[in-house]
Amino acid sequence: MMRINHIWLLAFSFWLLALPANSQEQTANSPKVITRSTMIGIGGTNILDTYLSDEHFKGTGISFLSTIERQKENCRWSTLMEHEANLSSCKSRNAQHELEGAYNFYWGKLYRWQLLDGALSLQAGGLVNASLGFIYNTSNGNNPAQARAHLNMMPTGVASYRFQLFNKQIVARYEVNLPLAGIQFSPNYGQSYYEIFSRGDYDHNVVPTTFVCAPEWRQQLTLDAAITRKITLRIGYLGNLQQSKVNNIRQHVWTHRFLIGITKRFSITPHGL
Amino acid sequence: MKKVIVYLVTLLSLVSLASCVDIEEREDTPTGNFEALWKILDEHYCFFDYKQKEYGLDWNDVYAKYKVRVNDNMNTTQLFEVLCDMLSELRDGHVNLSSSMDYGRYWKWQEDYPKNCDDLLIDKYLGTDYKIASGMRYRVLDDNIGYIRYPSFESAVGEGNLDEALSYLLLCRGLIIDIRDNGGGNLTNAERLAGRFVHEKTLVGYMQHKTGTGHNDFSEMKEMYLEPSSNLRWYKKVCVLTNRSVFSAANSFAVWMHCLPNVTLVGDNTGGGSGMPMNNSLPNGWTVRFSACPIYDKDKQQTEFGIAPDVAVDLSCDINIDEGRRDDIIEAARQLLVK
Repeated sequence: MMRINHIWLLAFSFWLLALPANSQEQTANSPKVITRSTMIGIGGTNILDTYLSDEHFKGTGISFLSTIERQKENCRWSTLMEHEANLSSCKSRNAQHELEGAYNFYWGKLYRWQLLDGALSLQAGGLVNASLGFIYNTSNGNNPAQARAHLNMMPTGVASYRFQLFNKQIVARYEVNLPLAGIQFSPNYGQSYYEIFSRGDYDHNVVPTTFVCAPEWRQQLTLDAAITRKITLRIGYLGNLQQSKVNNIRQHVWTHRFLIGITKRFSITPHGL
Repeated sequence: MKKVIVYLVTLLSLVSLASCVDIEEREDTPTGNFEALWKILDEHYCFFDYKQKEYGLDWNDVYAKYKVRVNDNMNTTQLFEVLCDMLSELRDGHVNLSSSMDYGRYWKWQEDYPKNCDDLLIDKYLGTDYKIASGMRYRVLDDNIGYIRYPSFESAVGEGNLDEALSYLLLCRGLIIDIRDNGGGNLTNAERLAGRFVHEKTLVGYMQHKTGTGHNDFSEMKEMYLEPSSNLRWYKKVCVLTNRSVFSAANSFAVWMHCLPNVTLVGDNTGGGSGMPMNNSLPNGWTVRFSACPIYDKDKQQTEFGIAPDVAVDLSCDINIDEGRRDDIIEAARQLLVK
């Protein structure tokens, strides 16, 4: 029964991602508008991985976030791509130390609705999230590190609202990504990395996940304000709550980052030969 | 379409928000640390069933026995002592409690037996002109027997080191590998060395791991094979010297070599330690190490308490070195190799 649920969820996710294909032909020659933002962030991190320790580790981390959205004029579909990298240093309540690092890549399609004479834009669609990372516990001699890898389908919603403040054009943007289904790497409950990587003895190390056993929650709220004609300042918040409970191992990496960066918006007009 | 997305997002939001993956932290008090330690072992330790059969270990009885010795008014030294006493019930050299003030251990598997290894005697055999290849010291003894001393598998040995050492000893009549007092280290070093003495893929044991918190939640046993090295290999007779301090990865090395037809174990029983260890931590920051993945011999038998040698020999201590005392275990191996 569980396997049927996984297949259904995966099929639905692919359907969501495949939808824009129908409308692409008529807008093939439309100008393409690209919105690119690059941000860095700093904030808190909370780590739990019961494979390494039953203790919680809290600390500070830095993040890099690059967001690229491509959309053709007169087309309701857009492509969203994000690169997110973070590194954190955390301590337990008794000064044990863990380091955490991860790279997340997001890619997907969003469908747009314009409301309030274009002031409010709503987008919905799905992203694929590929993630690689690690947690390193400096106190453990025999199981010092945990490798992290997953591939997720994430239904996504974006709301953007344009308004004037002090004669400045401001854009408030909120994006939320939720998990639907995917796969994740995990050692089994008491399995050593020696068995997996030195002996090649695998045991449920690639685990199907759903929003039930891997209830992730990622959201970002940003404000764009034009500083000059060419530069738009973007500030905001990124919260990425990645968590899972597979193979009897509980893991969470919660990161909260205050972001600052710049946004550029430009268009490319295709020319026929 | 709109409705489907709205319903889906609402459902996922509710599930995600309601599903925080977390555990409750125990209090950093003597009682909280005691409970945390007992629970970590209860859920992760791999030899409860085996040790229940061997000497009647009952982890719930251990809880009752030590719970009454813990109260929130005791100081850290007292708590450390009680926790170490509790861990010693497991009779496992891989079970340790680490704090900044002390290292809790159970070493009776070697302390209660004759040492059967004397570094001064070994130095007498090695002399001063021996060769060193990473973690190994080696030379040719007077009767053309090769001698390799490998006191710890913590020290890495590479394929190049082994090629050089075996080339140097190539014309010897036989080879002694002395792993006495080798307390273990990296299993891959033991595998790399053992690969020089096996000439076809050989089943040498099994390994499994826990799949859940229950005392009997284990994966299926996976075969462990020794693969022959593609570099220089040794075809002549070999004696592996062992004593009670041969533990962990060194115990595995002895178990594997014991499977090979041209290898003889000489000396005393090995110390055991067949559970690959893992770590966890207590609320007060102390680190606990415990056996997590049991390794068995080729007949699926436990080697947690060591294995017996083919030829049992003890060191005699009735004369001292200056009066011409010799290492009886090395001498016994030499006699076996020249036969």
